[in-house]
Amino acid sequence: MTLLLIAGLFLPLFPLSIVLNVAVTRLRHPVARFVLLLLWPQLGVMALQAAGQDVPSAFVPWALLSAGFYALRLLTVRDLGLWASFLATSALALTWALANGGASITELRFFAFWFSLPAALLALLTGPLSRRFGAAYAGLPGGLAGMLPRLSGVLVLAALAGVATPPFPTFFAMLGLLQRLGWSAALGTVFIWLIWGWAAIRLVQGFVVGPARQGSIDDIGRPSTLAYASLLVAFVAAGLYLTGGSL
Amino acid sequence: MDKLTALLPAIPLSSAILIALLAGRPQRSLARLSVAFSVITLLLAAASLVLYLSERDAQWISSGLPWGSLYHDPLSSIMSLAVAGISLVVHVYSVRYMAEERGYVRFFVLLDLMTATILLMVAAGDLITLLVAWHLVGVLLYFLLGHDLQRPTAQRYAFWTFFTYRLGDLPLALAAVLLYQAFGTVSLPALFEHLAAAPDTQTIFGLPLAATVGLLVALAAFARSAQFPLHTWLPYTMEGPTPVSALMHAGIVNAGGFIITRFAPVFVYAGEVLHLVFAVGLVTAILGSVLMLTQNDIKKSLGYSTMGQMGFMFVECGVGAFSLAIYHLIAHGLFKGTLFLGAGGVIGNARNHDGVPQDDVYTFVVERKPVASRLPWVVAAAITVVVPFVILGLSHWLVGGDFVGQQGGIILLFFGWVTGAQLLFATYRLHAESPWRLMGMIILSLTIVVAGYTLIEHAFSQFLFPDQNLSERIYAAASIPWATFDVLVAILTAAIVLGWLATYYAAARGGTRDGDVSPLKLAFYSLISRELYVADVYARLTESVLALSKRLNVWTRWV
Repeated sequence: MTLLLIAGLFLPLFPLSIVLNVAVTRLRHPVARFVLLLLWPQLGVMALQAAGQDVPSAFVPWALLSAGFYALRLLTVRDLGLWASFLATSALALTWALANGGASITELRFFAFWFSLPAALLALLTGPLSRRFGAAYAGLPGGLAGMLPRLSGVLVLAALAGVATPPFPTFFAMLGLLQRLGWSAALGTVFIWLIWGWAAIRLVQGFVVGPARQGSIDDIGRPSTLAYASLLVAFVAAGLYLTGGSL
Repeated sequence: MDKLTALLPAIPLSSAILIALLAGRPQRSLARLSVAFSVITLLLAAASLVLYLSERDAQWISSGLPWGSLYHDPLSSIMSLAVAGISLVVHVYSVRYMAEERGYVRFFVLLDLMTATILLMVAAGDLITLLVAWHLVGVLLYFLLGHDLQRPTAQRYAFWTFFTYRLGDLPLALAAVLLYQAFGTVSLPALFEHLAAAPDTQTIFGLPLAATVGLLVALAAFARSAQFPLHTWLPYTMEGPTPVSALMHAGIVNAGGFIITRFAPVFVYAGEVLHLVFAVGLVTAILGSVLMLTQNDIKKSLGYSTMGQMGFMFVECGVGAFSLAIYHLIAHGLFKGTLFLGAGGVIGNARNHDGVPQDDVYTFVVERKPVASRLPWVVAAAITVVVPFVILGLSHWLVGGDFVGQQGGIILLFFGWVTGAQLLFATYRLHAESPWRLMGMIILSLTIVVAGYTLIEHAFSQFLFPDQNLSERIYAAASIPWATFDVLVAILTAAIVLGWLATYYAAARGGTRDGDVSPLKLAFYSLISRELYVADVYARLTESVLALSKRLNVWTRWV
């Protein structure tokens, strides 16, 4: 039970998810948020492995409710850091449903990683946004596509990766999850998936579209763009190699 | 053949990557590069079709991975040619049309990515590849429709499209999961073989697998092809660039007809789902046509016209005439796509020259003084009832043999009859110096069009479904008990004939245009002019969900 409690904290289910979200909010440095979002769920999977217990079926509705709760909240969250944290919380909760379906520890590890990486990347992007505008708040610095096309491109791709859009591995991970779920849980999951997409478009529209600001603001540098792009390309390649065709 | 099939989506994909990498170069030259790649794609698609015609052998091409396979069959080869053709026209048109827009290069990158994705979708040989392409079409369409990043309405309606497409993506994902759980493979030909071997396979809650999968596929198709009540996004896509409106007719909005035909072996065992498809298609066709009549914006009007056509395409699927639906899809895609481009030109001209165009067409349509001469109404009514019936019946009987023995065939002839009669009625209402000559010319044109259409459609049907047995089984699945069918046809025929007679009689007496408008008519007009309030209902639902989200965030602001 203790291990499940620990796992519940790291693969957060509401209300234990408060810990992760408070931690992300308190950590001001984007790199610290990046590391936290990447490592936190892996600790959860390790705790689950150490517990060596089957996940009770009662965890599936709890996980779906947690995921749905945070997906719904995502719709009106405008702070990019918090958005990334909520997306990670919503997606990672589904790890429990996957575990209940009999997935191996390796599968759980990858599932958690696929979803935490785009969220971590979004958290990292709060850095360049905050430096330029004082906050990473959708609606505050609108029209980024006209001013900062490179940053906008990376932001859009990371958001799409986070909400399970093909060809990112999150898409295949969701297909794999659906295959392991019962009918009602699968229906619940596709609704959560639908809300993610809605939330992502609202976020993108808040940052990227709209009239560009007057005055020059420097875009992220070419090396940074290359680093972000390489990471996303490697993400896609790894996903296609490791999970492509998950059903 | 396998390399050619794999190259088809790869060529536009390479074009997109190349243009993105060369983004700093002169924009026009990049656009021309994209056009050149489109020409190559079209040539490859044509070669692929020719190769299929010479070999007549459908091939499933594996990538060696659990997914990524392609299927080269009549459906994929003909759809690839149509997609590549429309895409090329749109590319050529966009070179100049988009020249003054921001994000010119981005537009061509997206155009190429979309072409590659649709080509992948139509040639997908397994469920995963199909799902990837199906999802990506929605995402790319969102970015194409919202190309103008500064116009809020473009973003608003691009979002509507994205959301509706997502609604359609999810049932298809569930259908894929059910099929995989039942048979343990994602290969489409293998799945269809398994289903044919065990058509009574059951799935969740003891439901029949074929009917459940058929229903999910149909739901996906409804959202994709703007079937009522998931149609609201389509007329508003006018906010996107005109070339995108045209491109949408290349396997995007009409993909519903494609996906139903792709899953034809499933629908053989899902007759009741075909009935639902027929009903939804019929409602969509009627509402799309009615709503089109009240639009005063050319592109929105064309959008509703497309909705009506999508409805007819589903009616064709619903009666089992899958090959006719694909023929309709391609023919409508080519003509309406180019019509949209023409509309873009008209809008551009109207913006530049706001005077009324004083050309021959204007003079003919607006200023033409009627000559008071018409056919006697009884004669015209008799011609209307009999002539289309004879032309349609004879032409189908000559090429199709027992086609008119199928219920689906009879329903389609019924539609043809009504449409032909509409044309003759329109002719009757025209005043002409020689009404008999005019009516004769119209009847001759109608005969040529119907006979030509029937011949081509018959040949197309044999190409698309070389296995006549499958085609006949789909017709059989779509049919209902003959006694019920006969009664329905008799009632409808009587209603239509009586309606026509009343219309002719009223028109002969000069119509009833004057006088007070009844409150019922006003209420009906309000309903139609507000587009049945469907979009308003969705807007209210959306606001409710967002309000709930805000409320949750306020209540739990401490996390």
